[in-house]
Amino acid sequence: MTSHSCDVARREVLRLGLYAGGLAALGVPMSFGGIARAAEAAASGRILVVVELSGANDGLNTVVPYRDDDYYRARPRLGIRADKLRKVDDAFGFQSGMAGFERLYKEGRLAIVHGVGYDQPSFSHFSSMAYWHTGAPNSGAAYGWLGRLADGMDPAGTADYLVNIDSHQSLAVRARSHVPLVFDDPDKFLRTAAFEEESALRAVVTSRDVGNPTQRFLLEVADSAQNAEPRLRQACAEYRTPVDYGLVHFGLDKVAALISAGFPTRIYYVAFRNNAFDTHVQQSDVHARLLTYTSDHIAAFLHDMDRIGRDDDVCVMAFSEFGRRVAENANLGTDHGTAGTLFIAGKRVKGGHYGKMPSLVDLDDGNMRYTTDFRRVYATLIREWMNHSDVSAVLGRDFEGLGVIG
Amino acid sequence: MTSEDAWVDDLAPIKPADWNRARARHLLNRAGFGGTPEDIDRLAAMTPAAAVERLVDYEDERTGALPAFEHSGVYDATLQVFPPSRPAATRKAETTGEAIGVRVKPGGTRRVQPVVDRFFFWLRATALETRRVAAWWADRMVATDRPLQEKMALFWHGHFATGADKVRDYRKMLVQLELFHQKGTGNFRELLVSVAKDPAMLVFLDAGQNVKGAPNENFGREVMELFTMGVGNYSETDIREAARAFTGWSNDDLRFKVEEAKHDASEKVFLGKRGNFDGVEILNVILAQEVTANFIVGKIYRYFVRDDLSPDLQKRIGAILRENDYELKPLLRTIFLSRDFYSEPSVGTRIKGPVDLIVSMCRELGVKRLPGVPDFNSSCGELGQVLLNPPTVAGWAQGRAWITPGMLLARGNLARQMLLPDMINFVDPNLDPGAQIREVNNRILRGMSVTAATSEENPGAAMAEERAMANVLADKEDFNTRYGSLNGWREAVRRVKPTLRVPAQFSLTALVLPAQPKTTTEVVDIMLGRFLSVPLAEKSRLALIDFLDNELGTADVERATTYMEDPLRLLAHLIMSTPEYQLA
Repeated sequence: MTSHSCDVARREVLRLGLYAGGLAALGVPMSFGGIARAAEAAASGRILVVVELSGANDGLNTVVPYRDDDYYRARPRLGIRADKLRKVDDAFGFQSGMAGFERLYKEGRLAIVHGVGYDQPSFSHFSSMAYWHTGAPNSGAAYGWLGRLADGMDPAGTADYLVNIDSHQSLAVRARSHVPLVFDDPDKFLRTAAFEEESALRAVVTSRDVGNPTQRFLLEVADSAQNAEPRLRQACAEYRTPVDYGLVHFGLDKVAALISAGFPTRIYYVAFRNNAFDTHVQQSDVHARLLTYTSDHIAAFLHDMDRIGRDDDVCVMAFSEFGRRVAENANLGTDHGTAGTLFIAGKRVKGGHYGKMPSLVDLDDGNMRYTTDFRRVYATLIREWMNHSDVSAVLGRDFEGLGVIG
Repeated sequence: MTSEDAWVDDLAPIKPADWNRARARHLLNRAGFGGTPEDIDRLAAMTPAAAVERLVDYEDERTGALPAFEHSGVYDATLQVFPPSRPAATRKAETTGEAIGVRVKPGGTRRVQPVVDRFFFWLRATALETRRVAAWWADRMVATDRPLQEKMALFWHGHFATGADKVRDYRKMLVQLELFHQKGTGNFRELLVSVAKDPAMLVFLDAGQNVKGAPNENFGREVMELFTMGVGNYSETDIREAARAFTGWSNDDLRFKVEEAKHDASEKVFLGKRGNFDGVEILNVILAQEVTANFIVGKIYRYFVRDDLSPDLQKRIGAILRENDYELKPLLRTIFLSRDFYSEPSVGTRIKGPVDLIVSMCRELGVKRLPGVPDFNSSCGELGQVLLNPPTVAGWAQGRAWITPGMLLARGNLARQMLLPDMINFVDPNLDPGAQIREVNNRILRGMSVTAATSEENPGAAMAEERAMANVLADKEDFNTRYGSLNGWREAVRRVKPTLRVPAQFSLTALVLPAQPKTTTEVVDIMLGRFLSVPLAEKSRLALIDFLDNELGTADVERATTYMEDPLRLLAHLIMSTPEYQLA
């Protein structure tokens, strides 16, 4: 019912792309009006993709410190032998299923950040995840760090600036002046109605200036749905790629489709759902599988970006709410811990190790002492990647970046 | 509305003089799943105290012979100790020659295949039975004369969230559900102790792994963080001490048991108390904390009344629960009778959860049984609430968390499926294994070998180096999991009882005409009155009248009575697609 506006939007994208690209190719300086602004937007149109690995990924069995005897002492049964690893250097190796990450690392596109955590850690999935979502431990902040980033970068609240691929909206993207586009299955992002209902439907579902606060909230969301619906489905339906995204498609294939279709989205939030990484019991097989899926999917996405020529524009960060205890438990699993391992990947990322690997013997009640505050990672992404200087407005105060973006 | 504003935080009971139809409707929406105009009229004709009693003291109400769950008979004793994973099943089979009651073949190809088939059979069978249990429960919600019993069971299911996907035994989920039905409005202390000993909960939070000398903290943590006190009211040490007290707690199939040899009976220091506590004593220490009652009432209040609750009101309601030694009914009576419950911020501000939405849709339409089309589980899944499989141990986030742009569209679509079910395209999801298994099935039926039938479809040789690691690993296995998955499905759908696929039976014409509307305007107002708890903007109302005029070809109802059913259903669909319809 709004296919007209959809076509206009697509034409707009094409037109700007042609003009900017065409003139640049001819060496014409783009110093005038709209075209210059469009070019500037394109130049700074970097896209941040955040991947949440919920349940607390066991960082020690992800990037294994195979030269550290303390690791094998703490994990006599769960420790992964050096010959089973995909070694990346003389200290660390990936789980055997992580061919995708190994390739990214060897291409110099993968930054591994060690010992990521925060003071007075919570061992609760929900509290700790909320701290990561808000970027404000122990605060009960109402908006997410990505929501605040979007508000800071785009106070006008451009539609579809924030996209959350999940069945539910994450606190991380909750914003004051943006209504995030949240979807899981694009085919279900569709209002089905009889032809005769069309005009009445438009009248009853969209904006009106009445009602209680919950009603007004619902109306805002209804507007967002009405606007995004046709473009989103078209983007996903039209996208074709030969790249194999692995066995579990937790959403980056959809991100690729939207990027390819020219969505104005600058921030994507994708979740590997349902606390999957909470491996208390018999973790070896299931953890290896989860890492295989994760590594396959993220590596595939970045290679797909190469393929469509957007590799310079995207950066992926993957995190968990905390790591797990150093020692294995009695059930061939691991319990809730503190510091974790985090990944930043992309063509503009300077690959290598960041943060200091915590000691596996100098522990705080069985847990690693974190070396890198997670908000330093956020500050890195905000300032170095998104070129947004007001880190304090997003994180409450400034944090030193890691120098990951080159 | 000033009097209603002044009622905020006022727990004094509403007076009979203040009782009216709108408030009766509010009560039925919140303490139940809404109802027909006649249901509302009945409550409105009572005093508020009698109306609340009618809902809270439901033991006097006839149960209407709600049918018991009919098992398909897919379970047998060899499934009692089910391996935690497919690799664990095959490892056991390879080392002992047998697993899950099935022996490894002495020779031939794929010697372990029967064990893999058996593994996937039970995964599928219990998942399908779980869907049947969920639909059976939803049918009770639609049919019952005790809606609060169901609404409270739904609350506790979200509170003591336990997921069938991990428990992998629908029978245990059913036992837990019976517990919520029996004790959900009784005494919280009894309920908590019963839940701690409940087989589904024991399995879900790894109780069997919690043993002396190597405690597993999963239950010890969640019991305080999510079930009783809330985060920030205890230390990590308290969690470990609690975990020790619960060591040895386990289940023998559907019965609770304590394995004394695995129980740590030595001294614990817990929340400042010292003693050789066992699990029940730990729960008693927790229940002695003031914060526990406050936490529980806060959650109950937010479920039934509204999101924002002042700390002062929370304390006062918490005191009611403590003074009544954790009996829940005095608390529920006070809440439902209070002026606060009928104050402006409490009314028409709650977003119905998906199950609530579907059940109340049925009840508003006067439908007495849960329809078989649309499929209840699939509909709920699309709206973000799969019964018996909450997303995490924290259950479902309520309120605004139910709504995203996509979810709003899906809610309108669900209404359309309920009002105008598409029987021609309907496929029973209980019989639909998905594209991958379907493809393997078709290849096997065409006579292909197992290896060929289960190999990856995408033979694009050019992209071979791009093949994901996961697919490479699958090729190396010495038995075929994809074939096992197919075989498991085939046996499960052969044995699980079918679900009757009958759409909702109702007539909107018959619901509307008794009020003797003369004009389409009156029809629209009758329909809005039936379905909406908050008023619709005038512009929208006029658009609906205009729509009905066009569909009927007249504004004169009498002229149109013989053909108005489908137009009325479209009209209902439009109303149920509004943001306002999501509110109760």
